[in-house]
Amino acid sequence: MPNTSRYNRTRVFQKVLVANRGEIALRVIRTLREMGITSVAVYSDADRASLHVRKADEAAHLGPSPSSESYLRIDKIIAAAQRHGAQAIHPGYGFLSENADFAQACEDAGIVFIGPSARSIRLMGSKTGARQVAKDGGAPIVPGTEQGLTSPDEALEFARSAGFPVMLKAVAGGGGKGMRRVDREEDLRSLFESASSEAARSFGDGRVYVEKLIENARHIEIQVFGDHHGNMVHLGERECSVQRRHQKVIEESPSPLAARIPGLRERMGEAAIKAARAAGYFNAGTVEFLADNDGNFYFLEMNTRLQVEHPVTEMVTGLDLVRMQLDVAAGGVLPIRQEDVVLRGAAIECRIYAEDPANNFFPSPGRISQLAEPSGPGVRLDSGVFEGWTVPMEYDPMLAKLITWAGNREHAIDRMVRALGEYHVGGIRANLALFPMILNSPGFRAGDLDTGFLDRFLKSGIDFHPSPPDGHAEIAVLVCGAAILGCSLLSAGNNPTSQRVSGTSSNWLTIGRAEALR
Amino acid sequence: MKPTILINGAPVTPLRDADHAPIADGLHSVLANGTSYEVRVNGSTITVNGHAFETEIQDPRRWSRRSASHGSQGRASINSPMPGKVVRILVELHQEVEAGQGIVVVEAMKMQNELKSPKPGKVVEIRVSENDGVAAGAVLVIIQ
Repeated sequence: MPNTSRYNRTRVFQKVLVANRGEIALRVIRTLREMGITSVAVYSDADRASLHVRKADEAAHLGPSPSSESYLRIDKIIAAAQRHGAQAIHPGYGFLSENADFAQACEDAGIVFIGPSARSIRLMGSKTGARQVAKDGGAPIVPGTEQGLTSPDEALEFARSAGFPVMLKAVAGGGGKGMRRVDREEDLRSLFESASSEAARSFGDGRVYVEKLIENARHIEIQVFGDHHGNMVHLGERECSVQRRHQKVIEESPSPLAARIPGLRERMGEAAIKAARAAGYFNAGTVEFLADNDGNFYFLEMNTRLQVEHPVTEMVTGLDLVRMQLDVAAGGVLPIRQEDVVLRGAAIECRIYAEDPANNFFPSPGRISQLAEPSGPGVRLDSGVFEGWTVPMEYDPMLAKLITWAGNREHAIDRMVRALGEYHVGGIRANLALFPMILNSPGFRAGDLDTGFLDRFLKSGIDFHPSPPDGHAEIAVLVCGAAILGCSLLSAGNNPTSQRVSGTSSNWLTIGRAEALR
Repeated sequence: MKPTILINGAPVTPLRDADHAPIADGLHSVLANGTSYEVRVNGSTITVNGHAFETEIQDPRRWSRRSASHGSQGRASINSPMPGKVVRILVELHQEVEAGQGIVVVEAMKMQNELKSPKPGKVVEIRVSENDGVAAGAVLVIIQ
């Protein structure tokens, strides 16, 4: 067969199972469709009517709604892949995407896991292990101890040489558990004990290590991509400093810091490749760094999967990372060299969640009764929902990712604000109102970001219910009156469609004013 | 008796001259003084060009869109703001609580949410147990 592309596929998949749900399952299915590969969705009871099931070519039921009985069941997913004859599995992000046992189970079943090897996932899965790998590979790490400490004295010794503040962290940590900031020598012993006992309670492992605390740090990560033939490139950086409770809220590429400091991207990219190579990495991965405003940066961890925020990299590089993942997993040679990677313009992403920012970010699952989605120049919406869909309470509250691209950062932000204005989610609460306030704040516009930015912004007393401009309340009362009369007419047995003729000015409003509102 | 419409709790005089086009269920276009407004109606919430208004219709005979009563004075209920599962009850019956004190923890969408008392008082009723599934709006605890 003649090879017409620069891809040198040794194998081509005819059918791929997508072991995920929501927007990412749909996003992968779209690329599969573009490549002419048959897609197999999997679903739980709650997701029977979901978009990813409806848009896939085939679908397999996994079980009851809780993830532990469906999307986390390795045995059921492998069985579904075998039943449908899928040659490969794309794990998406979350769920089983960074589970080495799942990657191994795929391999054992003769199914290609679209991602790195089980060994790479294991190497990068432990925080101290990943630090060691990165350090051995020659990537800068936050000064600290690589191993768990046996006593607070060891932590004290380190803190005296490195200087306060320091951070105590659980070796088995995650989600902020077992973490303590220590500012003063006299606090260290008690904080060590509390971090250790919290770690023991949370993870069954009380080991704690210590790191220098990098103040006002930015979260900047590098997308890396490797094939099975020893080639590896980086695709530039993403800045994800706008976070709440260690969860990313807004991401962008390029980073305003990398745009400001010449050579930073190249240095970080090289360090990321070193860390990934040290883990024998292939396929898509992300190396996360903390960076300060002088351009010093330190390895934080590696995510051995496609990231939620990968679209901003796709927008500025013009690449389809899922397509590349499939090609590389099929044994193909990486289609690009480092010098082919050119970042063009700026892209920004907002994570749209079913939560109420005006009410302590309470989750808001339920039925979406109205949905208007943004479009137009430079807008990409990766959504997993539709009007009429009931957002299940069992899973992550993310509804969609809204991405805008433009020639420069200022323009991309303007576009995002415009697109958010076109976006409407009714029936449940969504966090849409949060973003324009952040995007229009002077700090964000100036690119002065760090991981504490959003917490400070939220504490600064922002008003989620600003007074509306003049004249809007008068419009509201008018439509309310019309709605009343419309309803009463309907209940009197009139034909509803005749009342709702699109595009014609109706006179029942006038009647409504005269009859109901005087 | 004519119904009165309250917007964010206050009566508002409607416009005299406006051109209105119903577009779809819950979606309206209004042109007034040359300005174009997109208006969405969702239950008692009306959104005009992205600005939300709470409406209340006062007409004892036909309409009660929103019941404004939050229980009698001195009595407050802790309601679940979303469907979920009660993971912890932080108070006991007859316990004195302060305003802002955590009362119940409800889990939904992998997040645990602590519901707080809106006022100081005494726990007079606990209507749920740990691990109960609850609907949105369900009354969990009553403080008096």
